[in-house]
Amino acid sequence: MSATITCPICGRRSIYEFRFGGENRGPRPFDDQATAQQWYAYVHLRTNAAGPQQEWWYHRDGCGTWFTTWRDVTLDCEVEAKEGKNE
Amino acid sequence: MNDRLPGPALRVNPEKTIHFSYRGRPMQGVAGDTVATALYASGVRIFSRSFKYHRARGLYSLDGQSSTCMMEIDGIPNIKAEITSLREGMAVRPQNVLGSPQRDLLAVAQWLDWAMPPGFYYKLFHKPWFLWPIFSKMIRRAAGLGRLNEEGHPGNFENLFLNCDVCIVGGGPAGLQAALAVAELDLRVVLLETRSHLGGFYDWRVVRSAWGQPFWARGRELENTVVQHPAIRVFKQTHLTGIFADNLLSAVQTGQPGEVFDERYMEIRAGSVVVATGSAERPLVFENNDRPGIMQCGCAHRLARTYGLLPGNRAVLSVGHDLMLEAAIDLADMGLEIAVVADARSTGQDESLVDALAQRNIPLLKGWLAAEARGKKGVKRVLLTNRMREESRLFQCDLLIASAGRAPVLDPLLMTRTRFELDRQTGFMLPVQLPSRLYAAGRMLGWDDAQAIEDSGRLAGLKAAADCGFALSDFIKPLEKSLQGRFQFRARQMMSRAPGPGHKSFICFDEDVSVADIHRVVAEGFDSVELCKRYSTAGMGPSQSGIPGQNLPLALAECRGHTLESLRPAKVRSPLRPTLLGTLAGKHYQLVKQTPLRKIQQQLGASFVRAGQWERVQYFGNDPTAREEIANVHANVGLMDVSTLGKFRIVGKDALAVLQRMYVSDLSRLIPGQLKYSAMCNEDGCLIDDGMITCRGGDDYYFTTTSARARDTMEWFGYHSRFEDWDYHIVNLTDGWGAVSLAGPAARQVLSRVVKDDVGNDFYSKGYVETQLKNGIAVRLLRVGFVADQGWEIHAPASATAAVWNALWDAGQDFGIQPFGLEAQNVLRLERGHIIIGEDTELRTTLLDLGLGFLWDRNKKGFKTVGVAALHQTENQPDRMKLIGFKMNDPSQTPPGGAIIVDTQVRGYVTSVRYSQALKQSIGLALVEAPLARDGTLLEIFIGGPDRRRLGAKVQRGPFY
Ligand SMILES: [Zn+2]
Repeated sequence: MSATITCPICGRRSIYEFRFGGENRGPRPFDDQATAQQWYAYVHLRTNAAGPQQEWWYHRDGCGTWFTTWRDVTLDCEVEAKEGKNE
Repeated sequence: MNDRLPGPALRVNPEKTIHFSYRGRPMQGVAGDTVATALYASGVRIFSRSFKYHRARGLYSLDGQSSTCMMEIDGIPNIKAEITSLREGMAVRPQNVLGSPQRDLLAVAQWLDWAMPPGFYYKLFHKPWFLWPIFSKMIRRAAGLGRLNEEGHPGNFENLFLNCDVCIVGGGPAGLQAALAVAELDLRVVLLETRSHLGGFYDWRVVRSAWGQPFWARGRELENTVVQHPAIRVFKQTHLTGIFADNLLSAVQTGQPGEVFDERYMEIRAGSVVVATGSAERPLVFENNDRPGIMQCGCAHRLARTYGLLPGNRAVLSVGHDLMLEAAIDLADMGLEIAVVADARSTGQDESLVDALAQRNIPLLKGWLAAEARGKKGVKRVLLTNRMREESRLFQCDLLIASAGRAPVLDPLLMTRTRFELDRQTGFMLPVQLPSRLYAAGRMLGWDDAQAIEDSGRLAGLKAAADCGFALSDFIKPLEKSLQGRFQFRARQMMSRAPGPGHKSFICFDEDVSVADIHRVVAEGFDSVELCKRYSTAGMGPSQSGIPGQNLPLALAECRGHTLESLRPAKVRSPLRPTLLGTLAGKHYQLVKQTPLRKIQQQLGASFVRAGQWERVQYFGNDPTAREEIANVHANVGLMDVSTLGKFRIVGKDALAVLQRMYVSDLSRLIPGQLKYSAMCNEDGCLIDDGMITCRGGDDYYFTTTSARARDTMEWFGYHSRFEDWDYHIVNLTDGWGAVSLAGPAARQVLSRVVKDDVGNDFYSKGYVETQLKNGIAVRLLRVGFVADQGWEIHAPASATAAVWNALWDAGQDFGIQPFGLEAQNVLRLERGHIIIGEDTELRTTLLDLGLGFLWDRNKKGFKTVGVAALHQTENQPDRMKLIGFKMNDPSQTPPGGAIIVDTQVRGYVTSVRYSQALKQSIGLALVEAPLARDGTLLEIFIGGPDRRRLGAKVQRGPFY
């Protein structure tokens, strides 16, 4: 349980106000047709990096913004963006 | 009975009597008592019976570290009497006894210990398997502590969420100094203390401190300064339950007499944290160390000095720290006869204390300790031996003050990423590397003299304040320097135990785990701390690591012959203290939404039911099957509150693009006045929502979602457009707008009486109309056939919804209008073959499985519509479940919802089923394997229970009614 998340609009707020949206994997790479492998890889596979990762968060009980932030999952804390990795 | 010894440090007021009852008998205590001290003052010595062997247990410590004082208080079981303030009128009962604690009929268990080795549950009672139900019944009756109050959970609960610069855990001298150091810089401090007063181990000591005044006076001075400081918020009787990342702390506060809550949950977000939890006594392990009359030294000393109670008549002490020698002298001066003091340390005692004992003719046996207590329901004799048990002496007494020494209270730090090492000088497990913004202070770091303890508190406070942006190195450095070289403990503190098998030498009181049990567990191969703890259950009882946490790792090292340096404390987890369920899940968390029509429907005799976030009407009147409501919709016209429907406006240049991505239908040709039914899938192609969409003109759209989905819709839309630079706004009107559903053959006539427009054929051919009622209320009319051929939803601002209902109600009187609720709606839609998402669908049913494939517009391209890729892939899979309608062969039989459909194996299950009065027939929906989904297929529905049988049914596609 990381205690706070920083919303780009509202600032640093209690994590209870947010909803986790998973690691950032970029936009969906296919249109209406996809091979089973493409679909499976995008919808169900995750990197699960042990360390900092860029994640999506939604400020549900707040401004209603989807945004990305970096969090070190081993420390459970927001961290500075990994260089050159920001999208 | 209210006689208390006088003393300067008393925390009770003997003038003020408090009445309570114990086992139904009236008793008295005084203001400031805990339940345990009041009982002790009244002569009660046996407080409980132990969990497994039903051994008599008495008052052992005053800080809630063991289960020996757990009682049922005011109907709540497992309350620790020694940390519960006495209140007027309290009803106290012992628990885990058959009879009374003095004569417990279950006490035979202690002679059956051979039959209950560690892990006996796993070993003994699984073979033969057919006896297990009988065993489990027997065990369940005998095991467990306390009995649940089946009427509910009495009490008032609340929560408190705090922010502060520095949170300090522990209100002893170090914590108080830390608080003052921080508060002097005008930073906000929250201080948590488990006891009902501050001052830590100063509070009851009458000896003079280095500052000239007695320790207790020094403690009260610090206490007053802190309590009165405007920047410090003090929470007493507050137990830390967890430390999480980013310095989020959770705690539970017990309400003191006169407070409006019984217990409250607290969450504190702190910039920095100082842990100053001090040290506790390490329990001395010896044979029968759990007998009533055996207590920790601090417990005996505090009984006398804090509560004015002489703990016994003739005492033997087996101790291991100078504080305990000081206690022996003080207790002797208060009138307790002390037969002998055994000190486990061979050397290292403070000479002035040794002299003081000699002056009082109290023999001191250095390097001796208690090996065995004798006496069944209370201690009568104590066998003292030297460390190797070469010599021994027997002493008579009615009180044995036993303690191996002191050990740091590490639980809060053990929840963090702190690294510990065993310190050879003190014998303490000391934190050597703390996470950032977390500090430890005081006696838990091994400081032993009062000045060093206070200085280390101040130092930790300054460091915590420095984290908040103050440049304090000029103050920190000199303090660090002055602490260097200050001596710590004089003698090493370790587990002391006279040699012996230890069959009744208890490591864990809660679970009756003895030293011999630990040896057995290790012999069976469970030899790491974590495995040993789980298999022996030591430390898994209500007090968690309180008592056993100190000695379990040591006992383990002892029997494995390991060096003490390799010791690691057992992991601790939140909550550190048992917490009432009411505190975590009490009624104050039951936030529920009510529709604008609640009052009107209440007056009509509605029965409400919780549905998701909302309270909705299940049925009106006394008939849960709602037959009349259903018949009335068939014959006349019904009115239903559907305000819980999700209602959204989406507007902007790219609003259509968003809708095209979310909905499976093609919405590009939607024209004003037209209403379209469509559905949304997730990326798996599974149906998650359906509803109506209309275009209000231009790029302005209005759509509805199911009640359950309303909350997630904004998030869902945002998520799936998060990578797009789309220009649109979405507004959630769910709570701002109410809605009623008007359904039945007479709906059109009723509507024509209330709306301004002429409800002619032109009006009637439209799906969506924005108009006004004759009373001027602006409404949106949606033509919907969910429950009847003739059906309209009338949407209006929440403040006007009641007026809309009333207008329809009045106009409908000539047509027999009646309200209807969820039960009627459920039957009506079932008759028409409509699904309810979440009831007739699950997380693996695609749009196609549900027979809703007609909603999917395959020609719509380029919108990356959510779920379409999966629909393409699954559409030809042969082995999918399909939703079908069925009729029962015997029309009067109605299987329960969820019943399985079988032939030689399970083939599906019933999702909805009702008896339809109109059809004189039981009808339902079911998910079945594809081969069974053809129209006319015969199904067998399995009914379990005492008269198990199979009911016949037949698949029918399409609506029933
Ligand atoms: Zn925000």
